[in-house]
Amino acid sequence: MQIEITHQPGNSAARVSLQAGETITAEGGAMIAMSGHMQVETTTHKRDKGSIMGALKRLVTGESLFLNHFTSNGGPGEVIFGTALTGDMMEFQMGSGPALMVQAGSYVASAPSVDMDMSWQGFGKALFSGESMFWIKLTGTGPVIINSFGAIYPIQVNGEYIVDTGHIVAFEESLNFEITKAGKSWMSSFLGGEGMVCKFIGQGTVWCQSHNAGSFGTALGPSLKSH
Amino acid sequence: MQSTIEGAPAFAYINVDLEPGETVIAESDAMSSMAADLDMVAKFNGGFFGGLAKAFLGGESLFVNHFTNNTSSTRRVSLVQGTPGNTRQIDLNGNTFCLQPGAYIASTPGVNLGVKWAGFKSWFAKEGLFKLTVSGQGSVWYGAYGGLLEKEVDGEYIVDTSHLVAYEPQMQLKIQLAGGLFSSLAGGEGFVTRIEGKGKIIIQTRSLSGLADWLNPRLW
Repeated sequence: MQIEITHQPGNSAARVSLQAGETITAEGGAMIAMSGHMQVETTTHKRDKGSIMGALKRLVTGESLFLNHFTSNGGPGEVIFGTALTGDMMEFQMGSGPALMVQAGSYVASAPSVDMDMSWQGFGKALFSGESMFWIKLTGTGPVIINSFGAIYPIQVNGEYIVDTGHIVAFEESLNFEITKAGKSWMSSFLGGEGMVCKFIGQGTVWCQSHNAGSFGTALGPSLKSH
Repeated sequence: MQSTIEGAPAFAYINVDLEPGETVIAESDAMSSMAADLDMVAKFNGGFFGGLAKAFLGGESLFVNHFTNNTSSTRRVSLVQGTPGNTRQIDLNGNTFCLQPGAYIASTPGVNLGVKWAGFKSWFAKEGLFKLTVSGQGSVWYGAYGGLLEKEVDGEYIVDTSHLVAYEPQMQLKIQLAGGLFSSLAGGEGFVTRIEGKGKIIIQTRSLSGLADWLNPRLW
């Protein structure tokens, strides 16, 4: 499997070249184009592990309910993935390092050798944040494709670092996090419009997206017709 | 204080490295990430009445956030506007600059934010009745949806409504039809802003209202 990310950062797309018989799993709706002989199988969870609970979990996490598995049967082939919002994409190689926690909505695709778990997050923490702070836990080895609204920048956390909840793309599970206030006081955090933020604690990398889809919606929303 | 604009032109954001004791001020919700031991305090945007004026008249937030480094070494805060697009820094040295509502992102403490009457013509141009002025000593970061074009005007220049981002205070703005009545309406240009004087203006290559006008017929 070869992954090439093109048209960065504004209009990123991921071109995945598959050998005969190879498979890539992707978020439903991410496929832009593919070879004619590509076989597509749709499941509600990782292949061979489909279950009603898995589907429900995906429903809850705000991801579309389905995963598509593209298999290049009968010869090599390719699939091209894109996303709805303008922004960058990143290929991440899972290996011997810690698990990768990906914000729901930032996940694009992964190799079948990468395991996906939607059940990691405690609901109390997630709901309280008011944003789609749901996570997909990726483990195993192989490539993962992740997208962002805007540019992606990594932060090497060593101690504590704060990221606004709408700006988190992914982080290494070696980091702990807590949902907390941005300012010295709750009053200050809400008056200042920052609200809840995520404080990462420990050592590891967090990938941030430069822009916040919610803020863009707030800017654009008033100009759109109501229905 | 060291600052860089990253991600430009499509997704510009600002990294500000604060030395011990330094402060940077940013509009509401501009912070995307920061060192956990920076102090963030929300304050009225130029006092209570000043904040009210800027919020209701200048299209800015009622509160701004003060990020202060009370540690003993350099700390970073990253700031960004709500829309994708480019960001610029201007350094003020006693001079004044005018910003359209919503363009302001952040500034250093020596910069004063004020609201001035821009006239009904500005409101007609969908650019608000009031304009935001920045003056004093220090740096200001502002941004727009799309790219930013800088133009030295000497005489007259015409900018489509909603594409003007910033201009020097001596520039005079007038609102008018783009051409004759028919060509203005049928040609989709509608009102334009006629700018007169000698000085710098900044134009954005896209506008949110343009995007909304495109999206609206497609929503149901």
